[in-house]
Amino acid sequence: MAVFQAALINEIEKLYKKKKVLVAVLLSLAVIVIGQLAIVGVRSGLGLRGAGSLEFPMLVLSVFVNTVLPLFTALVAIDSFSGEFTQHTMRITLTRPVSRFKIFCAKITAIMLFILGALLLLLVFSVLAGLIFNTNSATLDSFSRTIFSYIVSLFPMLVLALGIVLLANIFKSGITVFFVSIIIFLTFKVLGLIFSQYSSILLTTQLDWYNLFLVNSFPFAKIVRQFLIMLGSGMMLFTTGFYLYDKKEF
Amino acid sequence: MDKVIEIKNLTKSYGNGRGINDISLDIFKGDIFGFLGPNGAGKTTAMKIMTGLVRPDFGDVKIFGYSVSEEFEKAMENVGCLIEIAESYQYLSAFENLKQLARYYPKVDHKRIDEVLELTGLIKFKNEKSKKFSLGMKQRLGLAAAVLSKPKVVILDEPLNGLDVEGMIDIRKMIRYLTETEQTTFFISSHLIHDVELTCTRIGVIYNGKMLNVESTHTILKNYATLENYFVSEVERNGRVPSSID
Repeated sequence: MAVFQAALINEIEKLYKKKKVLVAVLLSLAVIVIGQLAIVGVRSGLGLRGAGSLEFPMLVLSVFVNTVLPLFTALVAIDSFSGEFTQHTMRITLTRPVSRFKIFCAKITAIMLFILGALLLLLVFSVLAGLIFNTNSATLDSFSRTIFSYIVSLFPMLVLALGIVLLANIFKSGITVFFVSIIIFLTFKVLGLIFSQYSSILLTTQLDWYNLFLVNSFPFAKIVRQFLIMLGSGMMLFTTGFYLYDKKEF
Repeated sequence: MDKVIEIKNLTKSYGNGRGINDISLDIFKGDIFGFLGPNGAGKTTAMKIMTGLVRPDFGDVKIFGYSVSEEFEKAMENVGCLIEIAESYQYLSAFENLKQLARYYPKVDHKRIDEVLELTGLIKFKNEKSKKFSLGMKQRLGLAAAVLSKPKVVILDEPLNGLDVEGMIDIRKMIRYLTETEQTTFFISSHLIHDVELTCTRIGVIYNGKMLNVESTHTILKNYATLENYFVSEVERNGRVPSSID
């Protein structure tokens, strides 16, 4: 466990020192500022309400999980694997007394913490912006649902990260991984629109699964089904990704 | 004598026909073993297998009795290495780079990091990011990383690459110092014959992926004027074998 801990601290330090986190924070804030300006614009220009105080964080989340967050997850995951493969820095860790499984898990955990951190940061800022600038419609129930929606968005994002990690272990170049990821992401989006009856098995649809927690009649069975689909695909992606990583020669 | 590294029937072939073929070798405690061979002879491949970066097609390497392919963490516990190019995280300072590695060894503290930076002459650049380092400085940082945990075995692939004369002398001194004071065992690959002659106590010649001979430097220099003469004769002897079959 101590070895895994050391590997995880190292991964977090690398992430933090590369300043990618700072860029992610600034971009997240930019999403909030632009969103808030749009709401204020709609309100004053067209006389429409736009969004209430707690509707705003949900609006931000719906935009964020489909655009900025997958993009940053891809960048961080690609950097953590392809980046280290091409710069040969992976050797630095691999020649230490730590197994490849622990390194792989530490990298995935660091990516997960990055996603969680980004979601929590966005939650705090969007709630604050919502409360300050928009009409107050907050209740304790809607507030807890908002927090819950942000936290559960971690699961599909993690599956997405595992998918990108798998691609990073297949293709040599980080740029190829990035473009293939985008193409697959867009293909899934289009497939979800064309075959809407099967869309629930597609990862891109699962990114919006937090909506299930907002429905008043709590759709328990549907939530469990979605969770199990994500768990299954996550496990398959993790196993295949690790298999390829373990077989890799440096 | 205590066997530190045990290489048995190590074989690895690549698509381009290169690789290593049936290498067996024992390295003993306190040895400064020189792995001598021309470019592309298979030195780096053997060393990559020894450090778990590449898996062999056949055979195994044991370090202190632990198999590198089966008990990696235990096998690498007392090993420090520098393989091919000395890599470092460019966005981290020399100190931070070593701190990353120090986390895997509970006994390595900040004092020890300063100590190895001093030993490799990098203490002045402790807080400078490694992207600003010259090739020689990067090599020194790689060597500092290799000896950071006070390992009992140090595996160095072309450790003098990019170093100036002063650097070469410093590293040679460091290797001798560690062997004398801490009984560290070194496994060094090089194509710089003169340097191997000055540094190593036992020498193995690898050619075309095959181990030709292993002999102590003392014995070699008794029979040959220089190590270069020995190397050339070994390689020629090997080269004649296939032609005589033809």
